[in-house]
Amino acid sequence: MSISRKSTIILENLRKRQMRESISSGKRLDGRSLDEIRPLEVELDVIKKASGSAWVKLGKTEVVAGIKVETGEPFEGLENSGAMIITAEVLPIASPHIEPGPPDEETIELARVVDRGVRESEMLDLSKLVLIPGKVVYTIFVDCSIINVDGNLFDATSYAVVAALASCKLPVFEIKDGNVIDTGKTQDPPITTMPVSVTTVKIGENLLLDPDTEEEACMDARLTINTNSNGSIVAMQKGLKGYFSVDEVKSIAERARIKGTEVREKLKGLIDLG
Amino acid sequence: MVQSRSLIDEKGKRSDGRIIDELRQIKINVGIIRNADGSALIEFGKNKIIAAVYGPREVHPKHMALSDRCVVRCRYHMSPFSTDTRKSPAPSRRETEISKVIRESLEPALILEDYPRAAIDVFIEVLQADGGSRCAGITAASVALADAGINMRDMVSACAAGKVDDKIVIDINDTEDKEGGADMPVAFMPNLKKITLLQLDGELTPDQFNTCLDEAIRGCMKVYEIQRSSLMEKYFGDEKGLKE
Amino acid sequence: MQDVKRKYVIPGDIVAEGNLRALVNVFRNGNSIVATRIGITESNNEGAKVIPLSGIYFPRANDIVIGKIQDHSSLSWSVDINSSFAAHLPAQDIFGRDFSPAHDDMGRQLSTGDVIVARIAIFDRTRDPILTIQDKDMGKIPTGELIKISPTRVPRLIGKRGAMIQTIEHASSTRITIGQNGIIVVSGKDKEGITLAINAIHIVEAEAHTSNLTQRIKQLLNVPESEIEGDDDSQTSNEANETLSSDEKSISNNINSEMGVVNPNGSK
Repeated sequence: MSISRKSTIILENLRKRQMRESISSGKRLDGRSLDEIRPLEVELDVIKKASGSAWVKLGKTEVVAGIKVETGEPFEGLENSGAMIITAEVLPIASPHIEPGPPDEETIELARVVDRGVRESEMLDLSKLVLIPGKVVYTIFVDCSIINVDGNLFDATSYAVVAALASCKLPVFEIKDGNVIDTGKTQDPPITTMPVSVTTVKIGENLLLDPDTEEEACMDARLTINTNSNGSIVAMQKGLKGYFSVDEVKSIAERARIKGTEVREKLKGLIDLG
Repeated sequence: MVQSRSLIDEKGKRSDGRIIDELRQIKINVGIIRNADGSALIEFGKNKIIAAVYGPREVHPKHMALSDRCVVRCRYHMSPFSTDTRKSPAPSRRETEISKVIRESLEPALILEDYPRAAIDVFIEVLQADGGSRCAGITAASVALADAGINMRDMVSACAAGKVDDKIVIDINDTEDKEGGADMPVAFMPNLKKITLLQLDGELTPDQFNTCLDEAIRGCMKVYEIQRSSLMEKYFGDEKGLKE
Repeated sequence: MQDVKRKYVIPGDIVAEGNLRALVNVFRNGNSIVATRIGITESNNEGAKVIPLSGIYFPRANDIVIGKIQDHSSLSWSVDINSSFAAHLPAQDIFGRDFSPAHDDMGRQLSTGDVIVARIAIFDRTRDPILTIQDKDMGKIPTGELIKISPTRVPRLIGKRGAMIQTIEHASSTRITIGQNGIIVVSGKDKEGITLAINAIHIVEAEAHTSNLTQRIKQLLNVPESEIEGDDDSQTSNEANETLSSDEKSISNNINSEMGVVNPNGSK
């Protein structure tokens, strides 16, 4: 279907050493503090053919998310609920280390983790997107194209999805004589909360937020935490072969909540929701 | 082909307000993908397409390498949200064919013998499609190849012409493509004056064909001017006028 | 350099017409010499060429390069030299002729991720480049700040007879090792000097085609005019082109002299 990633990136040993020294003194190679997130930029409505879209830049990582709305049958077991499908593709334009080919496990994990964060937060009230219960519902596709890779695809992609969803205009469908009709009108999406993903990685004994590509080449373990507007945790994903202590996990969760609030305010400002 | 409505009004205006020999708005932004060796974002009407070039680089798997020249690989792909109805992210037969003709439209311009045993990858991603996406893709890819510093005999500029309401018009848009009489995309090396892509669907009389080809090439030359100024702007910026 | 004609070109543009020799990054088409790259043309009675402003590194024998160890087989290391070819450093280059994979541990000498300065010993288009680190001041670089610039800007960074790079080294108290392949390592005792040097290098990269660049770099580095020895090439408006185009021989001479005394002022 799409993409595989070539062998892991080899970071120069002198660069690695420099990074470790720098991190242990509390500064990162790009000058950030350990819990500092890179500048976030959001441009909305970049794809006029989509019902909503966002071009997100998190540092040098760039993601475009676009929303398409159709009608279809509900998912099994969710008869009274609209359907939402989130996909992500790391395009081969995005990095020299990506090759066309079947999607690899990393890319599938990325799409699923982003989907889970948004789905479990119940950001969209899907029960409001039903036309004929059990038969016809809104189907909302949020597709993400990653166009430049510089680390932390989890958060960047999640922010793109959230920005696109929060700012989209859904078409108004109606049922007439048993057929679905596009009225040509639009409606605001039924938004209930704003989930925010915050990813922390462990390099040696240090914990860092929002890693770039070079830091990812050195990381031992990764923990992605999604919180909602109430500050509750709604989804998590631990990755890689390293591990965290119980205390580390608790402090990461606390920080993800605090940082999540900051990012949420930032995103709201950028999306112009006040 | 049945035409359901008139696509050119009595004042000679087309469905999007252009006259018959007018191109859509074109903007090219060079070097927008930081990781790529060369790249360009083209906005051609409502088309929004990124072309990125990687290479010349080592070929994997090794047995695909050629001992005396470079291999060119091309992937034209549409993002799911780029079309009116959502497109599956899996490459379609259409995308596979377009990838092939785009590769073959660029290869004549590339001096491949200069890079033996290597590969050049050209990736074209359509973020928004609006008719003429292959031409816009070729145009962007050619700029990206020049940006990557690959030896080229010439640029490649592409533009379609076609028949709408029995008139030959330049740069067919989405509606005209779907409802019009003929669509003929052409890619052209503007200095060497050679055609590197030629496709046609629809019916043209011999006279119409000749006019259509001349018009398409005129369109290519206009596209070339924009390619040129975008590269000059990127590389020489405000010193542009200083020399020559 | 008498009567040199210059202009900015993109591929397909005519560089010159008539009976001139087609030198580099151009080809002959009928009566015209045509550019194959984005760059600055240079035509005089020797011929016509284009000094390119973008492109990857294409290896040449005797170039000094900075590479990254990718891996090793039982007989050689494979080295990423930022090119379309992987380079090889034969085990014999370090262990000598008696090398045997049975009793010599290659991994202890150089391991994956190590950065080396090397010379391209052998290269032709039919085989991957073979490296050597047996010249003076070559081998593993243990520390320093690694940066990448476009290989096409390397001659400009070195400057006429090393003027540009020496200016930067002096003013920032750093030592700068330059690979012809666009990989550069900056080292020095104080962080501020290194940052200053890196900024200067990035400005040279971004503005390689412009005039009076040495002048501007000196201003950036607060260098008084009199302190700069060597060739001050900043007076002519053609400076950028001259330095970018210093012929291939002198480029590698520059590099060699630079490499020979990798640390003309850093060796304190």
